[in-house]
Amino acid sequence: MLDALLERFRQGDRRALAQLLSLAARGDQLETILDRLGLPAKPSRVVAFTGSAGVGKSTLIGRLIDVLRKQQTTVAVLACDPQSPLSGGALLGDRVRMPSNPDDGVFIRSLAAAPGQGVLAGHLDALVRITEAFSFDNVLIETVGAGQGDTDVRDLADVVVLLFQPESGDDIQGEKAGLLEIADVVVIHKSDLPGAEKTESQLQMALHLSAHTANVPILRVSGRTGEGIDALWSAVQACPLRRNHLSVSSRALLRLVRENLESRLSQTEANHDPAWLAILEQWRQGTLSNTQAVAAAWKLLRSVN
Amino acid sequence: MPTATVPLRIVLAKVGLDGHDRGIKVVARALRDAGMQVIYAGLWLTPEAVVRTVADEDANWLGLSILSGAHLTLVPRVIQLLNEAGLGHVGVMVGGIIPEGDISKLTHMGVARVFGPGTALPDIVAFLHYRSTAGHA
Repeated sequence: MLDALLERFRQGDRRALAQLLSLAARGDQLETILDRLGLPAKPSRVVAFTGSAGVGKSTLIGRLIDVLRKQQTTVAVLACDPQSPLSGGALLGDRVRMPSNPDDGVFIRSLAAAPGQGVLAGHLDALVRITEAFSFDNVLIETVGAGQGDTDVRDLADVVVLLFQPESGDDIQGEKAGLLEIADVVVIHKSDLPGAEKTESQLQMALHLSAHTANVPILRVSGRTGEGIDALWSAVQACPLRRNHLSVSSRALLRLVRENLESRLSQTEANHDPAWLAILEQWRQGTLSNTQAVAAAWKLLRSVN
Repeated sequence: MPTATVPLRIVLAKVGLDGHDRGIKVVARALRDAGMQVIYAGLWLTPEAVVRTVADEDANWLGLSILSGAHLTLVPRVIQLLNEAGLGHVGVMVGGIIPEGDISKLTHMGVARVFGPGTALPDIVAFLHYRSTAGHA
């Protein structure tokens, strides 16, 4: 069944794209899918949009879709929204702010980000690769809404656009420093609201504190009036495609190793392997230290496989 | 094909010129709380836009809310487009103001169930769970 799906995907069937994304999003046959995809014919420009909840990420992406379509380039959007830690359900509402006319050059997919996974949906690296293999010129990622330290997105994207809004308050100064460091373009969104200039000068100061961020452009943009939308895309295009392919691969390989390890461990456990039970018992009683228990587990796993 | 362990993905949308979205938002919240992935597509959508959303989101269900009285025009159009797009397996449910006499017309067109005003939210959840585990959508 996967063969047929991949064949349809290669022929440009959007439904196959949608179905492959579903499989990959839940980690189903993920590695086989990635093996079969191979490298994309032409890399997409992958741009991530991050910033606090309510800052207008979906709205801005919606406006950029119009710009991109006017330039006759194609675009896929991977929009992440949070999943409830209680029910596991998710209300994915980002599309509401994006154009709703069916257009073959636009593909929008809503994704649920599990709690504890950060601001991105699971397996997002794989989802980017799949959309890239479908030959979209641009892939736009919307994060759940970043807080401090949610900097994973930098590994996945060529360009990171960080959004603020007027009157974001003093938190701009220090608290967001970690986020400012990953920004390639900083946007003061909702620039039609009062306080945009003040926020801009605060951010300017914060960026100038470090030589690393001193040249990051700051743009005032309003999704409502359209101010700065074209300028924003020009700024994005001026950024080098600096996706860290090594780090993307490293993430993928880590996942493979982890999954392999987990499946071997759970197999050992399911078999009630006496050696495994002995390690567990000794560790529980404190005869084995953490380090010794890990070493013993490694030794056992090597002998198993 | 979805199994019981895969969360159900449902698109909720309003078609046509009808801006009353309180009901659909309440339903969206209830389905989320029941563990489903709810894609809220918004209002004033064309049938074409709704079907495109169902396709791209790879949803198993579509919930349409209609309070404008245009259900006998809009619903068959959506179902026709779903079938043309190879999405005949997607379950369709309708909510809103649907006159008693029209309910059987809609179910004959292929609507799985019509939920009118006063429906208890757990009934919608139970219906979707039942239909999904029974392998209907």
